[in-house]
Amino acid sequence: MGTFHDNKSALHGITVVVDTKGPKVYVGRCDDEDQEKVILVDADIHEDGANGKSKADYVKRAAKFGVWKKYDHLVIPRGDVTSITRLGDVHEIAVKAEAAKPAPVAVPVVEAAASKAAAALGDKPIVSLTENAQVEVKRLIVEQGDKPGVGLRLGVKGGGCSGFSYKLEFDVKKDGDVVVAYPQFNVYLDRKSTVYLRGISLDFQKGLSGKGFVFSNPNATNTCGCGESFSV
Amino acid sequence: MPYPEALVAPMRAELTSAGITELKTAVEVDKFMADKSGTAMIIVNSVCGCAAGGARPGVKLSLQHGKKPVRVATVFAGQDTEAVAKARSYFADIPPSSPCVALFKEGELVHFTPRHMIEGRDPKSIAAELVKAFDENC
Repeated sequence: MGTFHDNKSALHGITVVVDTKGPKVYVGRCDDEDQEKVILVDADIHEDGANGKSKADYVKRAAKFGVWKKYDHLVIPRGDVTSITRLGDVHEIAVKAEAAKPAPVAVPVVEAAASKAAAALGDKPIVSLTENAQVEVKRLIVEQGDKPGVGLRLGVKGGGCSGFSYKLEFDVKKDGDVVVAYPQFNVYLDRKSTVYLRGISLDFQKGLSGKGFVFSNPNATNTCGCGESFSV
Repeated sequence: MPYPEALVAPMRAELTSAGITELKTAVEVDKFMADKSGTAMIIVNSVCGCAAGGARPGVKLSLQHGKKPVRVATVFAGQDTEAVAKARSYFADIPPSSPCVALFKEGELVHFTPRHMIEGRDPKSIAAELVKAFDENC
């Protein structure tokens, strides 16, 4: 469905992911396609590994919000193409896969005073912290004086090489915050951030490369060093 | 370059006839967004038959649901460029696409349906996704 241009292919006007045999993957609106080529408009190209993002990471992120157009018009030789998929279908598959995932081991309780946005999620938390992350957050809160009401604020802001940067700071609850309660502290999110952080998991990793908080976000790639992993 | 107004007028009317306020200037958009009470929705309309052809009836269908945004407005991409740019400034972190739908609660973006989640889908399934967002936020 979807086209009133009789002389164009069935994918005309549909935003698609064009994967190739090589490192490139394309996302753009299909203008036309035939046995020789695929023509995209308002498109972006990603090379596997660029900015620390694999093809899959890039497509996963694109499926959530779309892509920033870098090319008005692209012609991709059909011989290079391995698949053409509707971006909307990629999103639906990702949502179904996420829903099928088992609940995290440490399931936080949404406190009664949390906003309706949080309550609407039922038993599924907006964000979850691994045990390691909980221990480290508590340790840092204590280190900062363990003041009453101080918890962990998670958020996002525009910018960074992935387009979004995470915010991670210690703060008290503000009006309108969504609150996820853990036994020893609360996690606060402003409503805008819940759009981007829904389903996110925060871990704290100690390793040879150092230690840090690491986000795992079903809505975004987590391979970019900028804004994804925060050293403390 | 904008399309002839005669071509666009029925597409505008499809939403305005359902009681949706059309915003044609940046000032009107700012005024609409200045009221941060309750919920508000902005639909970025477009001439694209591949997507907007389903979006408009989908939006209208969704607004028949019991829970819905208190205030609903629309801007028209490619036509009222100043108003569209201003509307997009309220969800500037998201790549621009049209048609698209943004839902705000107390001035904060709480749900966004980009074009690629609209195109190729029938009005009923577009409405179903919006209704889900209404139930969660309105």
